[in-house]
Amino acid sequence: MEKLAVQERVRNDRSIPCSRRRWRGPGLLRVPGCLLAGGIVALAAASIGQQTQNAGEDGVRQYQNMTPEQRAAATRQFLGLGAVPDKAAAARGAPVYQGNCAFCHGPQARGATGPGLITSDEVLGDDHGEHLLPFLRKGRPDKGMPAFATMPDEELRDIAEFLHLQVEEVANRGAYRVLNILVGNAAKGQEYVVAHCMSCHTAETFAHIAAKFRSPDQLQRAWIWPSRSGDERLAVTAAVKTADGPTIAGRVTQVSDFRITLVDGAGQTHVIDREPGVDVRMNDPLAAHQQMILTLTNDGMHNVTAYLDTLK
Amino acid sequence: MRPAGALCAAIVAAVTAAVWSQAPHVWLDPDAIGKTPVASWPTFNGDYSGERYSTLTQIGPGNVGRLARQWVFRIAAVGAQRGAPVPVIKCTPLMVGGVLFITIPDHVWALDARTGRELWHYDWVDHGGHLVGQRGVGIWKSTVFFLTPDNWLIALDANTGRELWRRNYADARKQYFSTSAPLIVKDHVIVGVGGDAMDMPGFLDSFDPANGDLQWTWWSTPRAGDPALKTWPNETAADHGGGMTWMPGTFDPGLNLLYWPTGNTNPVFAGQGRPGANLWTESIVALDLDTGKLRWYFQVSPHDTHDFDNTTAPILFDATIGGKPRKLLAQAARNGFFVTLDRVTGEHLVVKPYVPLDWASGLSPQGEPVPIPDKDPSVGGSINIVNASNWPAPAYNPHTGLVYVNSVEGKAIYYLTDDSEKPSGYGGTGMSIGRTQRVLQAIDPLTGNVVWKHEYPSLNNAPTTVGPSILATASDLVFTGDDQKNLIVYSAAKGDILWHSELGATESGGIVTCMLDGKQYIVFGAGDSLYAFSLPN
Repeated sequence: MEKLAVQERVRNDRSIPCSRRRWRGPGLLRVPGCLLAGGIVALAAASIGQQTQNAGEDGVRQYQNMTPEQRAAATRQFLGLGAVPDKAAAARGAPVYQGNCAFCHGPQARGATGPGLITSDEVLGDDHGEHLLPFLRKGRPDKGMPAFATMPDEELRDIAEFLHLQVEEVANRGAYRVLNILVGNAAKGQEYVVAHCMSCHTAETFAHIAAKFRSPDQLQRAWIWPSRSGDERLAVTAAVKTADGPTIAGRVTQVSDFRITLVDGAGQTHVIDREPGVDVRMNDPLAAHQQMILTLTNDGMHNVTAYLDTLK
Repeated sequence: MRPAGALCAAIVAAVTAAVWSQAPHVWLDPDAIGKTPVASWPTFNGDYSGERYSTLTQIGPGNVGRLARQWVFRIAAVGAQRGAPVPVIKCTPLMVGGVLFITIPDHVWALDARTGRELWHYDWVDHGGHLVGQRGVGIWKSTVFFLTPDNWLIALDANTGRELWRRNYADARKQYFSTSAPLIVKDHVIVGVGGDAMDMPGFLDSFDPANGDLQWTWWSTPRAGDPALKTWPNETAADHGGGMTWMPGTFDPGLNLLYWPTGNTNPVFAGQGRPGANLWTESIVALDLDTGKLRWYFQVSPHDTHDFDNTTAPILFDATIGGKPRKLLAQAARNGFFVTLDRVTGEHLVVKPYVPLDWASGLSPQGEPVPIPDKDPSVGGSINIVNASNWPAPAYNPHTGLVYVNSVEGKAIYYLTDDSEKPSGYGGTGMSIGRTQRVLQAIDPLTGNVVWKHEYPSLNNAPTTVGPSILATASDLVFTGDDQKNLIVYSAAKGDILWHSELGATESGGIVTCMLDGKQYIVFGAGDSLYAFSLPN
């Protein structure tokens, strides 16, 4: 049923021009397109969603450093979402919706005694009220939905924007917010830290640690897997014994099966092909954290975060 | 016009005419598609099996070191697309009659396979949809089929690129979008769809290749009256339950069955509004080619809450077990389990983790993994594995009897961001934590045992969309690559690195091979460029 409705809508959509493709046959030259710098790579790191690319640690950081508005806008573009809801109008529409519609359709328009609206053809086929207003004025009396014939257009439009904002909050996962993740037991978290962390760390590591992060989820991420960026002590290092003798040690900036690139203590870069006779020994200062991740339980994670969050 | 200019114009006209008259002619017998590909690569997986195995042996362990780049076609004229700063070729190129067909979202090119020269280019102006990737075209006789981000099936003349007809099959405003390659089987164009932002049901359509008439639709979730509704709390939840069909399936001509992998359940991370197994999302389904009716299913991830999106290729292969010939199907699933089934009945032979994981308490009597509720995304965060595989193609070599798959070992924290009784959309989020390690594995599908593995050294974490794709050949070579622009050839039996070549970007699409003018070509996309390799003359 849903699909038939879809095809109906498309056939009736006069905004789609009859000839919407450009055909380029043999021998025709293309005009080079404009190369735009893209900042969208970063956002993908935020989602282990369908087909998304992970932009690595830098991407995660870049994404976390965006304002919520930037994040939502970037994801909106990436997903090809439709018209941007008018938030001011939606705020005006909220009480109107709650007073007139929520009883049947639920407070977030996800359905109650009546159907959910956020996945409905009427709402998703509308940009800014051009289809919804005539629909709301008539209602659907045969199915028990009253006509809102006397409601002013401004209020109907505000309801429409409220509905579009409900869609946005579901479809735009860049607009998602983590909830209050402080669900653990701080005392047990302290016990975990004493038992598991103090062979490498001192109390100094944890002093005021919560003050260094903007949110508990960033704190949670950072204590489990600290960012290497800006902290030389966390860099992966290697000692490379070359085929002709000398051993070169330094910070690894690249490694593959075929090549390793190091920056030594003097700041000099060495690019070494991994040929027979070349021996590479790598050292990761975060190896113990990697081991911890493999065995960390959800309760353990929650408890430690709850404890560290008290260290403002 | 000055004489010199006139002369130039005349030369250009003459050259254009000469080139045009010599252009290869594309015509593909639909009955030839399922045969072992030798002089062509006529469908997404080369043939219908999904093995991505070529019988060609011109390139072998003894001469692979002499492989040389023949030409590179770079997509120079498209630039940034919505959400994609540079074009990335994620398609599997098809090769028919000396012509290669490649795609990115909204674009199709036909290239001369001998030179990489452009023959024609089709450019679609979309009205919505997600431009995350495009897996390639399908070919039937002289028609090329292409799916657009906003869900149009476009039929093009394979020899000119001229549009023959088009048909819309899903609404981009509902966040349906298309990235798949249509699968051509006999007189069917099988079209799958993607899009999990808005809790829509997945479906698979079959169209008439001659005119685009709809032949059948199979829905990924049960409709009214279906007994499978008992795996959902109610009909509304099933109607909004996801299960997209965004990767091409495989086909057994003898059984006349399509094998299709179905995607993640919706809402994606928030499962509290949909208690139950949620059929037929996260499954391998066997469908009758002519009717689209479900013959059997095996649900690889019952009640998924981790976007385990079961779309990795189901590979069809035959083996003898206990003296009996068996028709089998294997999948290295994104949920970390390696699955081998009897493809006649759907009965399981092997269901075994191929990456370290701890999210299942065991197997159900049907052999399906039983998820541990504590591993579900939660408000405080829940640790589970990252996707162990993804859409890039694995391969199978019948000589070694091994499945080759690029996989990821690592963890992520999954948060529930919508803890209401009626969650919608993704309802949560997940982000990898710690090192995520790319590993090439060779797995015996009869036991699920890993026969050899290769950990790719890298400072980079594995991307969530792990790859690249793999090609296996009869000379016991495995072609794939790392994440640092290297095309790498391994020995199929032991995983020794035999050869590599540094490219301009990391391999990003499917690798194909076929004979042309007596030469075995290896062709694949890496970033914005298509590469062709062969042995020198």
